[in-house]
Amino acid sequence: MEVTGRMILNQFKVLLLVVIITLIGQRIGYGISILQAIPGMIIVIVICMAALIIKDFTPQLKFPSFAWASLIALVLTMPFVPTSKFMLGYTKYVSFLGTTTPILAFAGISIGTKVARIKELSWRLILVAFCVFLGTFFGSAVIAHIVLKIQGII
Amino acid sequence: MESNDALETTGRLSSHAKLYLAVLVIVIVTELIGIHKFPVGPGTVVLLPMLFAVIIGLLITPQVLGTVIAGLKKVISEEEVELAGAIVMISLLPLGVKYGTLVGPVVEKIVKAGPAFVLQEFGNLCTILVALPIALLLGLKREAVGASVSICREPTLGVIGERYGISSAEGTGTLGTYMTGTVLGTIFFGILGGISSITGLHPYALAMACGIGSASMMTASSASLSTAIPAMKDTILAYAATSNLLTGVTGIYSVIFLALPLTNYLYRKLQPRIQGEKEVQ
Repeated sequence: MEVTGRMILNQFKVLLLVVIITLIGQRIGYGISILQAIPGMIIVIVICMAALIIKDFTPQLKFPSFAWASLIALVLTMPFVPTSKFMLGYTKYVSFLGTTTPILAFAGISIGTKVARIKELSWRLILVAFCVFLGTFFGSAVIAHIVLKIQGII
Repeated sequence: MESNDALETTGRLSSHAKLYLAVLVIVIVTELIGIHKFPVGPGTVVLLPMLFAVIIGLLITPQVLGTVIAGLKKVISEEEVELAGAIVMISLLPLGVKYGTLVGPVVEKIVKAGPAFVLQEFGNLCTILVALPIALLLGLKREAVGASVSICREPTLGVIGERYGISSAEGTGTLGTYMTGTVLGTIFFGILGGISSITGLHPYALAMACGIGSASMMTASSASLSTAIPAMKDTILAYAATSNLLTGVTGIYSVIFLALPLTNYLYRKLQPRIQGEKEVQ
């Protein structure tokens, strides 16, 4: 599908509102001054828009925009990259926990219609799903623990 | 790309306004509630604002409290629920950036732990070893294969849908794990993350385990783990984000080439033994 300027503008509007909500949330929750956090949030918006645009133009890669956003920020903050100091100086006022709360509020609302469907699910499948969660988590943790120990990192 | 059209504001301003206001109110309330921690042995139950946010968000939807309180439906109707779904993907991006800025500065440390990152990806196959026998004991047939093959996020849904059809028994199983993850995943992992250090596994290893291939579940578990052990916060978040990035890249291939063949193999071996009858295929 063609990527239109209108689509990008809509994404920008959403992002802007999410960032404003985050600014208010992290002021209340973590005492971060809104004014102090604005430059960092502008950097965040720029990277997010880049991630969305890259994703829209490379649909064949199937690499999610969340991963693009992380990857761009990662590269720009590596110690030997000249943008690192600038980036970290401002984004330190973007609270990690502060960005999570609005996401989960939207996510909570968005699963509203699925609640009825989970009630229809057999309790057996729900129980199996919990076993799946525990299996993947502790399976990875045990292997990681052993390898990190062998490597002498922990 | 329907999800982007769903963001169109023209003619739907009131719907947008109601949703953002609702989220703003939820954020203010949950940040005022703040972080609550309860030590349980060597682990910690961590209740973060995000956990309250997902629960309040869920409660105010039309099919939950909306059925009890009539006025609520006027604020959050099916339309706002649908819009929220489209916005979640974009609202995740600032967090993605934040994760990147946590990984970047310690990239050398990450590379050093490279072998652990790569090998722990195989831990995802433990879903099968744990969940398949239990699913069979519970009497599930081919649903067991779909349900236990992986954590069943969108890529798995695609693979199983293509191979068996989403309305097949396997598809039903995969949808079961997918739906449970969507509705209860963040709550489950939000609690599990903090309490997981009770096992004696190193927090760095647990951090890698948080990267299970779902951004929101990884966030819930790693935020909770890092709040429980604040001294290691930065490394925990960096490890979790990196591991999640890696699972995002390898996950689908792991399902196609490893997890699905292994699940089918184990099913053939275990099903007659546990359920005592050979299934007619």
